Parts: sequence; structure tokens; C-alpha cells
Amino acid sequence: MKTLLIKTHEAWLEMLFTGFMSHTRNRETLYDFSDILFRHFTWIEHAMIKAGESYDYDRDNIPIKVERLDDMLKTIVNRLLEIDLQLMGLEDRDLAERISSDIRYMVDTLKEMNDEVITAFSVSRKLPNIELTKEATDALTLFLFEESYKEYELIMIYNYLKAHSDDVFLNRIFQILIDESFFHLRSFGDMMAKMGILGVPRVVMKELYQIEDVTAFLKSGIKEELAAKEECRRLSEAVANESPKLARFFDFINNQENYHISLMKEALAYYESKKGAHA
Amino acid sequence: MNADAMLIEHMMSPKNYGKIAYKNSEGIGKNPQNGEKVVVYMHIKEDEPVPYIDNIGFEAIGCTTTVVAGSMLTEEAKGLSIEGARNLVAATKALLEKLPEEDASCSEMVALAIEAAVDTYEKRKEDASYPPITYYVATSCTPKEEEKDENPTD
Repeated sequence: MKTLLIKTHEAWLEMLFTGFMSHTRNRETLYDFSDILFRHFTWIEHAMIKAGESYDYDRDNIPIKVERLDDMLKTIVNRLLEIDLQLMGLEDRDLAERISSDIRYMVDTLKEMNDEVITAFSVSRKLPNIELTKEATDALTLFLFEESYKEYELIMIYNYLKAHSDDVFLNRIFQILIDESFFHLRSFGDMMAKMGILGVPRVVMKELYQIEDVTAFLKSGIKEELAAKEECRRLSEAVANESPKLARFFDFINNQENYHISLMKEALAYYESKKGAHA
Repeated sequence: MNADAMLIEHMMSPKNYGKIAYKNSEGIGKNPQNGEKVVVYMHIKEDEPVPYIDNIGFEAIGCTTTVVAGSMLTEEAKGLSIEGARNLVAATKALLEKLPEEDASCSEMVALAIEAAVDTYEKRKEDASYPPITYYVATSCTPKEEEKDENPTD
């Protein structure tokens, strides 16, 4: 199942990032398919936990620099067919059939998609109809690389915590934080593609999600969210003159962090009260 | 390719990121201030008159600057002898004071991880089970903006 988990992880990211590259309605389909693949990933993970198999989120780097959408679509189709083959060895036949059925539909749909010219790697570092200063462009570039990785990292961390928790209260919080990070990752990925600087986030190191002290993680996570808020505020100020629309976007992300912080504080209080009850 | 484009290329697809299939050494560079770290995995080809690094990979818990430094320095290290790798580490350390503080700390962490991997390799010649060596950065990693906020001048 280990290989199946890795291949599904890679297919999920390939599908999502191909969605960022698309300029057409293909994008929505690719996003939907990436959501499906992420769910497959969590189902396989759950099956591994049930079977007592050890696993991690290691995977290969994912090269996505292509000139045409077709190049990525072919890669994804091959990856999906590879996954389908791997499913033959899966003991849980219901799960295997459920995933296989999705794969068959996705493969057929991808094969029918119209080709597109890709501009997501042009390194133009320009957003359509927005003229930014060199300083603001550099700050935005760095922010997008930092934060797209950070959102991916958070998805993996909260997903791992959720996969290993039966606590309804905590899992609700983890799921909201996963959903919010997905939204942010999509927003940033979309912007990176428009600026021609798209790249798949690097692999997350094990010790970041195989957390021994969740309260310490939440405390430092709250600090990081506060730092991200500050970064959004700075960016909003830096681009306000050139683009009030972009400034509003960063204010919006900044305000969303408040909600994340309050959820993390809720989780922290819950963990600490449980720790207190066991003391 | 200008400097900006080259750096962005390293951000978009960092070279040598991740573990390598076969390694005979590894080393760690750590920043005790903030918990950031870099792990370098190395395979040194030994059946040559002068053994050299024929494969290298790295992983990082850190910022984009650390990843860019890791990408650039591991690319430089590939193909170097032990002596050459030590020279690369020394040359990087010599450059640190010319870099902004936050960049210096990231580059130092990568250089130390390479140095640690080379030293671990030497130790493993005598004891094959020698654990990966960890070195700690001496430069601080306080982003300039934070320094400014902490020490307002007006």
C-alpha cells in the first residue's frame, strides 16, 4: 500500500498544479479531480493505519515545467494507470473498486481535454493589468513561494493529526484548517501561475507532521500565523497604490488568519484541558 | 539568465531536494535559535583514485532562502572530492559576512550540513555506524524588518 499512497500523493499534486496552469474551463475539472485524488489519498492512508502499516508522506519531486497542457495530461494519465495497476494488490476490494472506478472516469475525461499553451513558467513576474514596483514584485514573489509551501505543509500536518485522532471536537477543527489551507494554496498557486513562477512545494520532512508535542506545535503555529498576518499587512501596504484590488486580497487573507488562530487556540485549550484531566 | 531569474529557477524547482537512494554519509546543520535545520545526504564514490561526491541530496525545515542556498550549494558540491567539498564550505563561510544577516544564517546552515556530512564520512571509515554529525550556526537569523520593529528609531 505504501507505493499506492506515494503515487496517489504525486497524482493529487500533479492534478492540482496542472489546474493552476490551465487558462480555460479545464481548470475546474482538474481542481475537482485533484480533490477526488486527495480523498483517495486519505482513504488509502486510513486503510494503512487500520492494517497497522507504517507510512510517511515522502514522495518524489514533481517536475511540472511543460510547454503544453497535453504534456502534463499524458503524465497524469500514465500515473493514474500505474495507480490502477497497484490497486490490484489492495486487499480491501471495495476500496480498490471505488478508486478504480474514479480513475477510469478521470482518465477518459483527461484524454478528451483540449490542449493549451502554458505560460505558468514564463518568469514574467507580472500579474495581468497590475504594474508593481520591483520591490513589491520581489516581496510578492518570495511571499508566494514561502506561503504556498506553508499551506501545503499545514494540509499535510493537519491531515496526519486528523488521521490519527478519533476525537470529533479536534477533527472538526483539523478539517476546517485543512479546507482553509486548500483555499489559500489554490489562491497562491493561481497567482504564481499568472506570474509565471509556478512550482510544486517541496516534500515535508517527517518530524514536522509526526508531532510528539501537539501543544508546542500549536503554540508555535499561532506565532507563525501572526507572522503571516504581518506579512500580508506589509504586502497589502506595498501594493496598495498600484493595485487596491490586490491589497484587498491580502487584507482578506490577513483577516482569515484571525479565524485560524482562534481555531488553533481552541484546539490548544482542549489539549491542555485533557492533559490537566490526566495529570 | 540574470541573477533574479537564476534564483527564481532554484525556488521553482530546487535542485537535489530530497533523500537519495544510496548514501554513505549524512550531516545536519541546525539553527538552535529557531529550530530550522538542513540535512544533507551524500554518496561518495570510493572506487576511484580520488573519491568524489557522485550524488547529493538535502532536506530542509526552513525558509525559501535556505532551500535556494541548499539547491545552489549541493549543485556546486556534486562531483567534488572531499578536499574540494571542504574548500566549498570554507569559501561559503568566508562569504557570510558580506550577506544580509538572515541570508547568512541560511547559507551557513547548508554549508555546515555539507561539512557535517563530509566529517561523518571520515568518521565512518573507522566506525561504519557512526551517527550523523550535527553542527550549529553561529550567525543569527533575525529578519531585518523584525529588528527594525524591535528598535524603533522614531
